[in-house]
Amino acid sequence: MTDLAMTNKGPGNEALISRLAGEVAPVARHGLARRLAAGLGPGLLTSVLLVLLVLGPRADLGAAVLHASFWIKLAYCASLALLGSLAVARLARPDALSLGWLAWLALPVLLLAGLGGLQLADAAPGQRPLLWLGSSWRVCPLLVLALALPVLGGLLLGLRWLAPTRLVATGAAAGLASGGWAAVLYGFHCPEVSAPFVLLWYSLGMALACGLGAALGPGLLRW
Amino acid sequence: MRVGEQQLWQWMAAGLGGDAAAHHHLLAALLPMLRGFFRKRLPGQGDDIEDLVQEVLIAVHSKRVTYDPARPVSGWVFGIARYKLADHFRAKGRHVPLEGLEDILLAEGFEGAAIARADVGRLLGLLPPKQAAAIRATRLEGLSTAEAATAQGIDASDVKVSVHRGLKMLAARVAGGA
Repeated sequence: MTDLAMTNKGPGNEALISRLAGEVAPVARHGLARRLAAGLGPGLLTSVLLVLLVLGPRADLGAAVLHASFWIKLAYCASLALLGSLAVARLARPDALSLGWLAWLALPVLLLAGLGGLQLADAAPGQRPLLWLGSSWRVCPLLVLALALPVLGGLLLGLRWLAPTRLVATGAAAGLASGGWAAVLYGFHCPEVSAPFVLLWYSLGMALACGLGAALGPGLLRW
Repeated sequence: MRVGEQQLWQWMAAGLGGDAAAHHHLLAALLPMLRGFFRKRLPGQGDDIEDLVQEVLIAVHSKRVTYDPARPVSGWVFGIARYKLADHFRAKGRHVPLEGLEDILLAEGFEGAAIARADVGRLLGLLPPKQAAAIRATRLEGLSTAEAATAQGIDASDVKVSVHRGLKMLAARVAGGA
């Protein structure tokens, strides 16, 4: 034995250590990713079912996937979802880790903004409102938020097993991830593909989910 | 005895594999480190210190899945300890600021810090000058006890006693809604 003769103050914690050491179970490799996946999986599945059964896929899906605009929308939402998910995995650990790489979030936003600018400049002035309002701007952000709720709930449940120390940031990251995945799924229902529309309304839906996560984080993630 | 990072890592790695003896060694080695960490930040609050040490030990045990073997064990453990300390401060609310003042001034924005300083300045005005000067030097200006003693021309134990009595009196006044 090494130095187990510790300071004599407070024998309670010495007894605690013996008790804890008596109940050691091996910890699975990649246990953290598994816990998050266990939360994310059922949430995502719920949202997939909501898109398929309640909203329904867009009628022209077969033709839509032949256009680049469909994939640009998907790539935009998926890149934000992925960065949000990586941030959740980082923030689930108590070590202070740099989050500077989250500046990459600006890249998809700027690319889509550039494309949106080109599309607006190309369009006849009378057509421009149609590009950024489409026909569903009123419901788009709210539906993205609604589809994000099961995913956000799952992620927050998964995080309760883990050890986040920055609870607002962790909640916001979970919100961004859930909003991003929800936007990816919503893209299979929603026929709007113009860059200004996606940039405004899909992003607003993701931002709402992000804000909701940030608001819930401190209350739900304490440990 | 201070255990090296390498040794902590070996115990941690073995403990993650289910080795109870290694896990016991790890927790036992962390115990004095954690007591030192909290003693420095909560001087004279023995019960709170042991409670916090206990919470961190339990978290080290139950949250091991969040440890990344590619990173230092001590960074992970002190990350947990800092979180538990912040949580403790949050729970204690307004009774704590006088003790953790430097941290609070650093953590909050300039405006908050300026207001806090003004409030503290007003509170310090209620104390005998010697106690106020000792608190100002050691808690606000960041001098060590010895430096403050030299600056005031009194001896170090006198500074300590003044700080202690002054903080106690301020805590009583704050609690009483002064």
